[in-house]
Amino acid sequence: MVLNYEILGHKADLKIRVFGKTKKELFLNAVLAMGESLKPNGKSSIVNRKIKVKSGNLETLLVDFLSEVLYLVQVNKEIYINVEFNKFSDNEIEAELSGQKVERFGEDIKAVTYHNLDVRQKEDDNWEATILFDV
Amino acid sequence: MIFKKDFKKINDWLWEIPKNFRSDMQVPARAYVSGEMLEEAFKDKSLEQLVNVSTLPGIQRHALAMPDMHEGYASPIGGVAAIKISEGVISPGVCGYDINCGMRLLKSIHNEKEVKPYLQDLATEIQNQVPSGLGRGRKIKLGLEQINKILEQGTHILLKQGYGEKEDVENCEATGRLDWADASVVSDHAKNRGRDQVGTLGSGNHFLEIQKVVEIFDEKVAEVFGLFKDQIVIMVHCGSRGLGHQVCTDYLRIMIPAMQKYRIRVPDREFACVPFNSSEGKRYFSAMASAANYAWANRYMIAHYVRQSWKKALGEKEKLELLYDVAHNIIKKEKYKIDGRETEVAVHRKGATRAFPPEHPEIPEKYRSVGQPVLIPGSMGTASYVLAGTEKGKEAFYSTCHGAGRIMSRHEATRKISGQEVVRNLESKGIIIKCWSLRGIAEEAPLAYKNIDDVVEVVHNAGLSKKVVKLVPLAVIKGE
Repeated sequence: MVLNYEILGHKADLKIRVFGKTKKELFLNAVLAMGESLKPNGKSSIVNRKIKVKSGNLETLLVDFLSEVLYLVQVNKEIYINVEFNKFSDNEIEAELSGQKVERFGEDIKAVTYHNLDVRQKEDDNWEATILFDV
Repeated sequence: MIFKKDFKKINDWLWEIPKNFRSDMQVPARAYVSGEMLEEAFKDKSLEQLVNVSTLPGIQRHALAMPDMHEGYASPIGGVAAIKISEGVISPGVCGYDINCGMRLLKSIHNEKEVKPYLQDLATEIQNQVPSGLGRGRKIKLGLEQINKILEQGTHILLKQGYGEKEDVENCEATGRLDWADASVVSDHAKNRGRDQVGTLGSGNHFLEIQKVVEIFDEKVAEVFGLFKDQIVIMVHCGSRGLGHQVCTDYLRIMIPAMQKYRIRVPDREFACVPFNSSEGKRYFSAMASAANYAWANRYMIAHYVRQSWKKALGEKEKLELLYDVAHNIIKKEKYKIDGRETEVAVHRKGATRAFPPEHPEIPEKYRSVGQPVLIPGSMGTASYVLAGTEKGKEAFYSTCHGAGRIMSRHEATRKISGQEVVRNLESKGIIIKCWSLRGIAEEAPLAYKNIDDVVEVVHNAGLSKKVVKLVPLAVIKGE
């Protein structure tokens, strides 16, 4: 299996580096990384959610998109394992999330931060992002 | 990079980075640390972050760091910035995501011997009564109307609805209600996240401890606070939960693009700020106040559930009185004499506790002769302290430390020590531990934190607040 994210050391918070062959895959993997970090337990019925996010640029779009996903995760107690993008530009996303209801989470994520945020395309054309979550 | 040579030693407990260290500094940066702690501080980015704080438009006198400082995002945790309201900014990142994270201490009239036989039952009962909220939230989901009332009226609405007593409101910072709160500037997202979390602890370093008073440093102040040797007290550490986190998220998102309009540049997006008196600034200040009220209501309801458990374990007539409740992540308007003129500043405290001196009008009358009670928790299983505010604290805008302060990442802590080992260590000291997740326990192991005794020694010796009593835990109840 190809590693789609890694956890980096950070004193008080959770720092994750996410990889993707495309921007869309990068955003999807960021959703998966955030979901796995919440250590969900007792998954059950399938759910679908629609999401729309606008932002200033690709970097802040990633954070604002994840913040919106985190809100849905927290309020509905759900975890999302796939994202269907209906619209995807550097400052706007319209997408459909699919996932499952969960009974409880083992970890909490308070927020997705903009701190030392880094989103870039590497020389081999793959994408990489570093995101810090407040936990 | 910052080196020790860049610092000017003011005294054994205070070190300064002069304003000319970096051209964008508006004021010098000061850290209240011992020489040894300063060496430690170079291991993370907290000092660099402190210098960044000193660049904020309108900051007065010094950017300050307390001895428990560690790396955060934007400002270090343990940071204080007093920013002139008429010409400065307001910055959500220098308050933090957990708005009004804070401490509450309940006092019993019993000593350890009297409570010991009931301790195990009491700890179990509290664990069941006060859920963490990670899927173990309260079964009741409040309607938006009730959330709005809590946001605007804080603890006052709960008192009206029959919870707690008059003293619970009187003995709380700001009586548990900031009157510039406005529910209409808090998003529905934030309100929805708060609907089932009133009266929940949350995860991470949040906890509830049954403690005893082991040492008294100041008899006179202890007496005014109603504290005595071997007394059983209950300490609560938590904040505004998902609601506060969402308020911070929402307003960072508003302020990042707004900064262009106001031509403000900051060293890190998390410093996003706007003029205090701008429409965005005013809205955030009211939203922050609303989240702060929610946090006070949260700790107020936790105290209610703790009291129910206490009565169930010890008897219906048994009471717990509130000593005090104080925030350590908050922005408040305060007035100080700066350059000979009375100046209104927005004091941003991020991981720093307000510590008002004796005779300050904003502290409860019963404590006015001795200063505001300051509640400082240690890391899990170690000591905690009650301190009192001092006049000398004025040099730090009446601020002091807020806890032990991390020295190791959560990840590293779990690699170094297992949850079972931490539990065994606590049990070997005779401490009861109640938790739902062993991983969460490992993350909060004492080895991941500074020594609380050293931290408190610095603020005591620097004169920012003085030691009153030392507390040690008999039972620890964790969120997750």
